Amino acid sequence: MTPTFAYQFNRILRGSLPGFLTAVLALLSVVPTGISGFAVVTPSFVAISVFYWSIHRPYLMSAPLVFLLGIFSDFLTGAPLGLSSLGLLLIHGIAVSQRRVFVGKAFLLTWSGYLMIAFAVAMISWIVACLYSLSIMPLMPILTQFVLSLLVFPLFAWGFGILQNNVLKHT
Amino acid sequence: MAPRQGTVFKLAWPLKTIIQRFAFLALISLSIALLLLGKANIAVVEKLRTTTTDVLSPVLATISQPVDAFNQAVERVQKLTNIVEENERLREENARLLKWQAVGRSLSQENENYRQLLNALSDPLVLPITARVVGDSGGPFVRTLLLNAGRRDGVREGQAVVGPLGLVGRIAEAGEKSARVLLLTDLNSRIPAVLENSRYKGILVGNNSSSPTLEFLPTNAVVSPGDRVVTSGDGGMLPAGRPIGIISSVGERKIRVQTFTDWNRLEYVSVLRYDLPGMNSPYDNPGDMGESRLGGK
Repeated sequence: MTPTFAYQFNRILRGSLPGFLTAVLALLSVVPTGISGFAVVTPSFVAISVFYWSIHRPYLMSAPLVFLLGIFSDFLTGAPLGLSSLGLLLIHGIAVSQRRVFVGKAFLLTWSGYLMIAFAVAMISWIVACLYSLSIMPLMPILTQFVLSLLVFPLFAWGFGILQNNVLKHT
Repeated sequence: MAPRQGTVFKLAWPLKTIIQRFAFLALISLSIALLLLGKANIAVVEKLRTTTTDVLSPVLATISQPVDAFNQAVERVQKLTNIVEENERLREENARLLKWQAVGRSLSQENENYRQLLNALSDPLVLPITARVVGDSGGPFVRTLLLNAGRRDGVREGQAVVGPLGLVGRIAEAGEKSARVLLLTDLNSRIPAVLENSRYKGILVGNNSSSPTLEFLPTNAVVSPGDRVVTSGDGGMLPAGRPIGIISSVGERKIRVQTFTDWNRLEYVSVLRYDLPGMNSPYDNPGDMGESRLGGK
């Protein structure tokens, strides 16, 4: 029996949710908040989303999609084109290859996994950005952004978890 | 989307993994290639970038509206708590400023008279375009703003952007309906500046921190903390005499500048449409709108 069109359409809509959600988060991260100094250290919502979905729904957060999301976020922020793509692809690659370690285990393990991967990627991005501009960039904003991202991670993971259980249960 | 178990699938499995690995590595290489190519400012990439911001700036403007409204509400409540002191202070300030206004008027008249006596050329016309800030840099690597005005509003690459208190930066990219501002704190920002009183000229160099440095001053320049720094207008790209900030510290090698602009409260900024004398091509001249008073037609 071939599935009906409505069923297929519904499945595609649900399946595109992680990608769509990540794009919206990219938009939200550039909205001016008026909070002192926040623009520079805005937590990397996109990286959190890519990490989460790469572990829990890797086929809905494929490498080409991650690449496009990175390009999209570079266009938005005005960062050197390819910088976010590189960082997000590294996060995606590590998360997908290690997903057996995370799936179905305690949340604390996922969180510490994010800590290690995000820190490594932040440092790599910093080195790439320094090479790109041929000068030493201040390290403090990058570390602050990393710590803030780490702090908001549980909140996002909780939200994504609810979505996953309600909308993406059977996909 | 659970994978179906079957003979075909079992056979295809290693192949699929290889393709996925290959795609992943190819995309990583593509990112690095883009980074390298980005240095060259390729026209197609620039076009894509401005088109994306053009499409997204209305969306961002809509999203940022409730955030702005909320901030304004908070500010209102904060202001209400010390409204009496504020009023008192403003009255005093107003009295003082009225005196300054009288002085300013007479000086401006005097200046005008001298200019006429010397037959000096007047400064080029400067017209502000006010635009809303719809996006910030959202990350630690660049210092930029996104505006909801673009080429169709008269915004061109290279124009100066000022806030209520002083210079903010320059237009780095102009799309049809949106433009990106390179803040003067960004690593790539270079602004010709001059010390207002001593008239020593230098270049204001951004370094991704909140206090840019003043470099390339003459070796005999005397600089002390508190000196005002304004744009020099050298190179003809920015109008002269716009306030930038004050010298905050003079170190062994670095002279730091504290900017006047309050980076957290930039809701609206003015892009200065500026007629460069002698540059009449609408593509070269950052501000020519066919209204040039200088430069023969």
